[in-house]
Amino acid sequence: MEFLQPATWEEALEARAASRDAVPIAGGTDVMVGINFGRLRPALLLDLTRVPELQQWGTDDGAVRLGAGVPYARVITELGDRLPGLAMAARTIGSPQIRNRGTVGGNLATASPAGDAHPALLAAGAEVEVASVRGTRRIPVADFYRGVKRSALADDELVAAVRIPPRTGPQQYSKIGTRNAMVIAVAAFGLALHPDRRAVGTGIGSAAPTPRRAPAAEEFLAGELDGLWESRAELPPATAARFGELVAGAAAPIDDVRGTARYRVHALSVMARRTLTWAWADYRKGDPACA
Amino acid sequence: MTRAPERSRPAPPTPSPAQAVGRPLDRVDGPAKTAGLARYTADHHVPDLAHAALVHATVARGRITGLDTADAEAVGGVLAVLTHHNAPRMTPPAPVSALDLSTLAPGTTVDYLNTDRVHWNGQPVAVVVADSPDTARQAARLVRVTYEVEPAVTDFAAAQDDAVPLRGTLLVLGEERTGDAERALATAPVVVDHRYTTPAQSHHAMEPHATVAVWNGDRLTVHEGSQDVDWARRHLARRFGVPLAGVRVLSPHVGGGFGGKAPVWAGTVLTVLAARATGRAVRMVLSREDVIRTVGGRTPTVQRVALGAQRDGTLTALLHTGVSQVGRVGGTPEPVGSQSRHLYAAPHIWIRHSTTTLDVLPTAHMRAPGEAVGTFALESAVDELAVALGMDPVELRMRNEPDRDPLDGKRFSRRDLRAAYARGAERFGWAERTPSPRSMRDGHWLVGRGVATAFHLPVRLPADVTVRLRADGTVLVRCAFHEIGVGAATAQTQVAADALGVPVEAVTVEHGDTELPVGPQAGGSGQTASVATALLEACEELKRSVLALARRSPSSPLRGRRLSELRAGRGGLYRADAPDRGETYGVILTRAGRAEIEVRTAAGTRLGRTLQQARAAAGWFRDRRRWVRAVTGAHFCEVRVDEHTGEVRVSRWLGVFDVGRVVNPKTATSQLRGGIVMGIGAALSEETLVDPRTGRTVNPGLAEYHVPVQADLPRIEVDYLDEPDPTTPLGLLGVGEVGITGVAAAVANAVHHATGVRVRDLPVTLDRLL
Repeated sequence: MEFLQPATWEEALEARAASRDAVPIAGGTDVMVGINFGRLRPALLLDLTRVPELQQWGTDDGAVRLGAGVPYARVITELGDRLPGLAMAARTIGSPQIRNRGTVGGNLATASPAGDAHPALLAAGAEVEVASVRGTRRIPVADFYRGVKRSALADDELVAAVRIPPRTGPQQYSKIGTRNAMVIAVAAFGLALHPDRRAVGTGIGSAAPTPRRAPAAEEFLAGELDGLWESRAELPPATAARFGELVAGAAAPIDDVRGTARYRVHALSVMARRTLTWAWADYRKGDPACA
Repeated sequence: MTRAPERSRPAPPTPSPAQAVGRPLDRVDGPAKTAGLARYTADHHVPDLAHAALVHATVARGRITGLDTADAEAVGGVLAVLTHHNAPRMTPPAPVSALDLSTLAPGTTVDYLNTDRVHWNGQPVAVVVADSPDTARQAARLVRVTYEVEPAVTDFAAAQDDAVPLRGTLLVLGEERTGDAERALATAPVVVDHRYTTPAQSHHAMEPHATVAVWNGDRLTVHEGSQDVDWARRHLARRFGVPLAGVRVLSPHVGGGFGGKAPVWAGTVLTVLAARATGRAVRMVLSREDVIRTVGGRTPTVQRVALGAQRDGTLTALLHTGVSQVGRVGGTPEPVGSQSRHLYAAPHIWIRHSTTTLDVLPTAHMRAPGEAVGTFALESAVDELAVALGMDPVELRMRNEPDRDPLDGKRFSRRDLRAAYARGAERFGWAERTPSPRSMRDGHWLVGRGVATAFHLPVRLPADVTVRLRADGTVLVRCAFHEIGVGAATAQTQVAADALGVPVEAVTVEHGDTELPVGPQAGGSGQTASVATALLEACEELKRSVLALARRSPSSPLRGRRLSELRAGRGGLYRADAPDRGETYGVILTRAGRAEIEVRTAAGTRLGRTLQQARAAAGWFRDRRRWVRAVTGAHFCEVRVDEHTGEVRVSRWLGVFDVGRVVNPKTATSQLRGGIVMGIGAALSEETLVDPRTGRTVNPGLAEYHVPVQADLPRIEVDYLDEPDPTTPLGLLGVGEVGITGVAAAVANAVHHATGVRVRDLPVTLDRLL
């Protein structure tokens, strides 16, 4: 097995272009598991941990541009205020050691339907910035997932960053597993309220071949919130329940060792209803003062 | 409540008060372990070390028709690829005999790599030896095997109908009955009669199985994480046809065992074989997957418990039958009715065990075989009866608490389950529980509280020890027992310190090495009491020898005294009637011109060992005829169940145990707490998933086989009655296994109280609660 360790982003992209079957590795929390279990035996590993740009985040054009190599632990400590949904998702991931190593960029590149960051990214309306020697392009995250562990990345491209609009309203995240930590989700759900554009964002995890939004639920809720954004009035329980049903309706789960399809659909409706109830309660308390 | 039956032997010497036994001393191995100095098997490096990796069969039953090892052999650094074509021949395992328990060592009759037969999906069919572990593993993946596949039975659920009742033997619990339970059941005013199932479970000790094998001519040295170094030594000597005296097995530190390291599994045998074949020292550290595919685990079970009762809760009938699985090439049935013979005063009892034979990895012992899963069924059924009667489950149990063994009227050596429940109920606040299901809640969390009884029968095994007393006042205890993480050496340090009247700091204990006198297996919750029995005898003998030296001296204040008139203390022997008259061991030895003095319990020779085993066996049978020597406990559990998602969180736990005298409350509490954690895993998440089409385990690792993590566990309170058993030296019984028993039932009972949903199939997963 060859091991390449580029020191610059340009070198990394050139190496990627030169060997398209290379497996990029950042935190290694997916790749090393694959190698250790004998499921992955790449001829070439492309280690991205020495590329400085990937380790940074900043604001750009109103969005947080999160370098693909920033670990979850830093998302929690440094971005909890701006990206609360993603930080909540990050807190549910693995153990402290895994959160110190694992990255949002890696989560995207693996594109597992059970990846914990995806529902939060979908709800926030993130864009994935991918790059190659040919140039850079941005892909709305909802278009990024193309199948079970398949993404829109071309074989000469690397994930450079993910661009996430900072919150303008409350965000929530909920995950159910077969135990209380260090567990792959049976089902997960992310919710973001966007009072600035009177919109609602959703993300479903572990309940379809890819992470996905629940567009009908988003539209329904945005309609129901028309007028309520200003009045901050109580949300009718029927609205939350209907929202839950519509989220569940967007899922297409399977039975597997972690849970049944029926359970997943049910759990999604509960998580959607709950996260909405929590988020709306926060919003009514004036959180945040959306200017 | 406790009666003192007549003693089987003269009263053991009772150490004077304010001594080491009973105190929560820090572990003697603590500093070495926390500093990383304690060497486990995989830490042993020997010169010229090679590394081995296993290749597992991918079919459940059949014959190997082709082996392509060329790609593996072509990998740089590969020394050998061993298969049944080129592996050295071994002597097959000995048939199992109750007269020589070491015949149980292999756990299976498979003659690894000496046969083309495949008996389970995962059986090792080749071993790669290489310069590095990574190379060995990589090359192992390149070995291609073709099979002629034969029909296989791999689905326990489908094979239950073919189960055959077991006949009881010395080693196996069969059928037992008193009265006519079926008739009593048919006429009982209140009946519960249900089917319970528990899944297969895999061994997941923190330290995976590992072996380092070094041959020197026909002499063999093996470093091995083992719960029974004597079994390992005997089995390896037989398999490789070398003299027993030339085989040494070392196992000073073991990272958990739970029964999985008592047998000698394929990894051990094949490491030794690889070293034999290559002429190199070889180390093999099993991966989690290797462990799951080659180390037998707990059988799945299906059980029926039927209880008949009067309306006042008096039990009239108790039926407990169970089916467990064994492999076609070995396996141990799970005596799920074990506790049901002794727990309730029903006049009509019927216990029956059956097994069904599958083409799977042989099942093997895992912490409290029988009771761990048997108590789930029995204690769930008792809870169901309490609900049917509208009676408090603690009260129902106390109403049926037996004075004598319900099967045959034997006495219990000690039993005070009433006191355990009384103390537990008080501490836990049981009276605050409202009886109806779904009657307690905290927001969207449904709160439930449940109880269940813990029960286990510790074994007693022969042990041989030497005790050396030096003129400087230090003591060396030597015995090949096993430190599998429980604080075994610490406990014996305390016992020796008290028996000889020296500070614990003066005592060193050597263990885990077949060069030492033969010790008992770390199994059956019997090791501490078994070693302590021999150690106390040796210490008595030692004091007698020291006194004999003292008596020869005209100047000794002990001159003319008998041992019974003396007390050991302050590093010497002193008169009981005049505690300032006496002298230290150092003074006595120095005056006699002796640097040290050593005694050994009788079994130093082969004849001695045979006599000792015969005496131990006779004593065990005599004791068994005379009384039931059991440990019990009361579990109190509180769960919170999310009303809408079915997530279960165990929020409180209290276990109150009646385990005889506790040598070290710190280490014993850890062991009982560990048992409770393991039981919570069994209750909520642990399950070995086997593809019924292929017999292949599909979750061979900790990523998919979920043991509890910290976030799943509440603070677990452990309490003891701490009253000595009147029939054993020091009053010790055994604490290793009782902790896990009853736990799953306590959880399931609490879940029922929280939700109204009765789960009779473990584990209690989310989807079962909606």
